[in-house]
Amino acid sequence: MIQTPVVQLSGASRSFGHGHTEVVALHPTDLRVGGGEFLAIMGPSGSGKTTLLSLIGGLDRPTAGQVLVDGRDVGAMAARELAVLRRRTVGYVFQDLNLLPGLTARENVSLPLELDGRPARAARADASAVLEVLGLAGLEDRFPDDLSGGEQQRVAIGRAMVGERAILLADEPTGALDSITGESVMRLLRRHCDDGGTVILVTHDAAHAAWADRVVFLRDGRIVDETRAPRQGAA
Amino acid sequence: MSVKHGLLALLAEAPRHGYQLKTDLEGRTGGNWAINIGQVYTTLQRLERDGLVEPTGAEKDRHDYRITPSGREQLDEWFRSPVVFEAPPRDELTIKVLLAVAASDVDVSELLQRQRTASVEQLQAYTRRKAQADERKDLAFLLMLDALIFRTEAEIRWLDASEARIRDLTTKAAEKNGGRS
Repeated sequence: MIQTPVVQLSGASRSFGHGHTEVVALHPTDLRVGGGEFLAIMGPSGSGKTTLLSLIGGLDRPTAGQVLVDGRDVGAMAARELAVLRRRTVGYVFQDLNLLPGLTARENVSLPLELDGRPARAARADASAVLEVLGLAGLEDRFPDDLSGGEQQRVAIGRAMVGERAILLADEPTGALDSITGESVMRLLRRHCDDGGTVILVTHDAAHAAWADRVVFLRDGRIVDETRAPRQGAA
Repeated sequence: MSVKHGLLALLAEAPRHGYQLKTDLEGRTGGNWAINIGQVYTTLQRLERDGLVEPTGAEKDRHDYRITPSGREQLDEWFRSPVVFEAPPRDELTIKVLLAVAASDVDVSELLQRQRTASVEQLQAYTRRKAQADERKDLAFLLMLDALIFRTEAEIRWLDASEARIRDLTTKAAEKNGGRS
């Protein structure tokens, strides 16, 4: 059941180069993601899944077509507006976590709020609250190097969630984690959706994709199939 | 997997009667194994005949059984031995894909994708049940779901690998032909 889409691609494509050297990373693609939906994008490397996620996250612009996020045309935004979108609406969890090693867990999480002009004290209080939700209470003052892989991953998710950003984008967020720790990350993403947030997860791992409400399959820059919505109450 | 070892494992903990053995064994295996009560009674009779269990004689009208020392020995031996899958099971999916690859008029990548979608939907169903389970209370159920999930995941990995292998061959064949022209 798709409610009002918070992400909508209409004929959005991305290619690099021109003429006979042109490489199409994503063919014209239509996709609607509803508020509160957990969508997984599956495909082998080179299938265009990271390109698709970059377009939605405003890290890249479509060559043609339209990408609407929260009703706004990402392709038409100025760089500064994109930065605001990333700080307020869309959170990104990268394959490599990109935590700043010189900042504590709390400071890493509060950074996007502070960059957005929120007073440091309030930002850090918000960051602590998010870390607590993620089961990291008591570890706020640790530096990334003093946290386990699973804990670092949760800090990265915290940084993407803080400020009540509605959309969470995750690119292979469980990369190096063992299966039980990876599962706990999936449980967090699932809970974020059950609380009304939207998650778009890129993965080649079917067991992780299976936590999503819907899975779309990419091949050679095209969506080739998607799972059907489960029957109500079916297990 | 025999009912025999399941019954011995339960009786090694405490004496039980037939119906209790059935329900406890079903509960212990996460509801994954429905057992016929008749099968429980015939197995108990056989175990008693072989001296592996014996009636406690505590209740007059109900037969409680307990494990004997030689029953315990057999059980220990079972737990110590790894499970060996001797003949690989005949698997319809594998056979279907192999036949499709050989057939000239079947779109193999479409077949693989249709199967992948179905398998991921199955995986979603298992995962939804896992998400609802209580991590502290439902250990047997969670372990059983993990087993089903990993098996389905292995199937999907095999589909992915098959697709990659077929593509790789097709690309190489195309390059070879391109080089000649």
